[in-house]
Amino acid sequence: MTKGVQIAIGATAIAGLIGWYGATNLDAAPSFTYYKSLEEFQANPGARSGARSRVHGYVAANSIRRDIEAMQVHFRVQNTAPHTGSESGPPLEVVLVSLETPDLFKDGAEVVVEGHLVAGSGGPVFEADKILAKCPSKFEATPTDSAES
Amino acid sequence: MPDIGGYSLRFALVIALLGFGSAIYAGAQRRSEWTRVAERSVWVVFAFVSVAMIALFYALATFDFQLLYVARHSARSMDLHYRLAALWGGQAGSLLLWLWMLMAYGVASVWFNRTKNRTLMPWVVAVVLANALFFLVLVTLVTEPFERLQPGDTLSDGDGLNPLLQHPVMMIHPIVLYIGLVGFVIPFAFAFAALVTGELDTNWFRTTRRWTLFPWLFLSIGIMLGGRWAYEVLGWGGYWAWDPVENASFMPWLPATAFLHSVMIQEKRNMLKTWNLLLIGLTYTLCLFGTFLTRSGIVQSVHAFAQSPIFTSIFLGYVLFSAVVFFSAVALRRKEIRSPNRIESVVSREAGFLLNNWVFISLLVWIFTGTLFPVVSEIFQGEQITVGPAFFPIMAGPLALFLLFLTGVGPLIAWRRASLASVTKQFRWPAIVGLITSLVVWYALGEGAAYYPIMCWGLGAFSVGTIVQEYALAIRARVRKGEENVLQAFSALLRKNQQRYGGYIVHLGAVLIIAGMAGSVFDEERLENIRTGDEFEIGGYRLQYLTATALPMQHYGGAVARLALYRGEKPLGVMTPEKRMYWLEQQPASIPSIYSTLRDDLYITLTAIEADGSATFKVYRNPMVNWIWIGGCVFVLGSLAVMWPHPDRSRAPKVG
Repeated sequence: MTKGVQIAIGATAIAGLIGWYGATNLDAAPSFTYYKSLEEFQANPGARSGARSRVHGYVAANSIRRDIEAMQVHFRVQNTAPHTGSESGPPLEVVLVSLETPDLFKDGAEVVVEGHLVAGSGGPVFEADKILAKCPSKFEATPTDSAES
Repeated sequence: MPDIGGYSLRFALVIALLGFGSAIYAGAQRRSEWTRVAERSVWVVFAFVSVAMIALFYALATFDFQLLYVARHSARSMDLHYRLAALWGGQAGSLLLWLWMLMAYGVASVWFNRTKNRTLMPWVVAVVLANALFFLVLVTLVTEPFERLQPGDTLSDGDGLNPLLQHPVMMIHPIVLYIGLVGFVIPFAFAFAALVTGELDTNWFRTTRRWTLFPWLFLSIGIMLGGRWAYEVLGWGGYWAWDPVENASFMPWLPATAFLHSVMIQEKRNMLKTWNLLLIGLTYTLCLFGTFLTRSGIVQSVHAFAQSPIFTSIFLGYVLFSAVVFFSAVALRRKEIRSPNRIESVVSREAGFLLNNWVFISLLVWIFTGTLFPVVSEIFQGEQITVGPAFFPIMAGPLALFLLFLTGVGPLIAWRRASLASVTKQFRWPAIVGLITSLVVWYALGEGAAYYPIMCWGLGAFSVGTIVQEYALAIRARVRKGEENVLQAFSALLRKNQQRYGGYIVHLGAVLIIAGMAGSVFDEERLENIRTGDEFEIGGYRLQYLTATALPMQHYGGAVARLALYRGEKPLGVMTPEKRMYWLEQQPASIPSIYSTLRDDLYITLTAIEADGSATFKVYRNPMVNWIWIGGCVFVLGSLAVMWPHPDRSRAPKVG
């Protein structure tokens, strides 16, 4: 057996082991998540039945309610920013199962909520265990943003 | 003054174009006088870009809000040092900084090679200027740092800089990171020059090694500073979130580190020439690609810059162009760079280094896949699928264990072919130390035993064992010869064989970092809503909420909570997490309070002061985090020991 073959066998064995390890562990981690805008999420019922999703939208005005007893935060997400005054579709009821909201979370904030849809007493509710809020200007304002502000 | 900046960038563009032309002419026709012309143009472009930098600094310092950039990124309330740091707080300014660094590296390479590598230099200069041309086009035509507001729109005050960036670490972090990322242009340029001229013997990579070490060290520091900043400022209890922007800075580090190892095989055994060229090409391509990722915002990230499609397509074109040119050059020369030597045995240092390279590249492939998964799934499936932060450690964890093992084995095993006897002799004690450590950890953890820390700390102890053994044997040999004491022998080793003994210190740092990260297996976190006077416990600590008071008004306001911290009955101090509100930017920020020991960190943020007067805190206990920063310092000291220019070595005969 030449050295080349030895090395090739060794490499295949290692690659195989690592690959097997990776493949078996992928299932264990709740890793793969659909990323959708609220419109896409509402338009595609297939992805709504319990699959883990990240949904992008804006916090509806005056919708935030912190339930300290139950350690939950209730709010609604809509598909356009409230202050622009443009038409917005039906909002999504969201319950965050924690009191830990990001600094930038407030009325009108652009957010990404991560979790899945569950049946609630008053219709479906998006149960989120993670929430990201974006700074409206990020690090760099886009030209249109600055024209408004 | 801003006009001067704008004009000097336009002059720089013209000179760079002329210089690029003369460099190509000098290279193709082998006209050395034209090489001098091209090299001088590097100096001139550098001078003009420096003027532009000064002009922008001046505008930021003097509140010149007629400039769009100044108005967007600074404000009257900001201190001078943060106003100056705003130069790299935004897009146009950071492109200018990138360009300036590129030219600074260009000038340095021209200066250090004024009497050597003369046939390579025209092509090195051509590569540097080609890159400069791209950035000059960007800052003169696409995103101009000196763009003015319409006369009617002139403001009395600016928007300010993102308050999270107004932090001492953030003043230097981007610079350090850029010194790293931009610096790989020089090894890239030398590799390309060697490919074009066909001088693929030993010269280019001897020169390249040092030019790679320097940016590599800065990239390492930059990555660690980024982690430190995230830990101290962002308030989510961690230092690394596998965010695309973090990955963008980590990805080029992997092939660069692989190169620094495999170049030693080329040096000693004249093997892996093609592989080394590919690694250099890959490193620089990833530097550019990472910048593209950050700048284009094609991947969802907390801190990507939003961008216009024109900018995105130009930048992507540039990354692809430079990669295609370089890798085609490698392909065209592939017959000439085929190495005459082959690996002789699987149990040899060559094989160890090769494995090390594969580990680094596998890690790169995994991280690259995870980072770009949303983009790829969007293209092929029409749906964006993101992989969470849990995706990355799946492979990074085991690969890190493998690296720890190789860190111990690689440097000791013999070149070519190691005998069983020598392997047993060299690894007996380190292996025993490693095993004992594993057993002790296993026993100490008791019920909470997890395979990862047992393996990680055992292998880490094994690696440290080999390092200590190497030093002990070498120092003992020197001391026995007489005349030197232990300390003198230690410093003599670092001086005489700095690559080897400095390298061991770098390894020690890396082992400490990985060992510290393994502590995260035992992280604890809690969310607590409590009233004043109430207490709660976490991981042996006890916290009592005392009061919350308003912060004294500055350019931010908000609240600070006070909590008394105890371990058992022993008072340890008062924790003061803050919830700040930056008035001008209308941005809140939670500043954590950290009680830090070698054993663990207690990390607390004030999530909210609720309407009913209670307060909500997020508390983390992060074991062993401090070892990461300690390891980082050791890592840097080791790298400095490797690079330190000792007078007796630098007088080695110059080549070329």
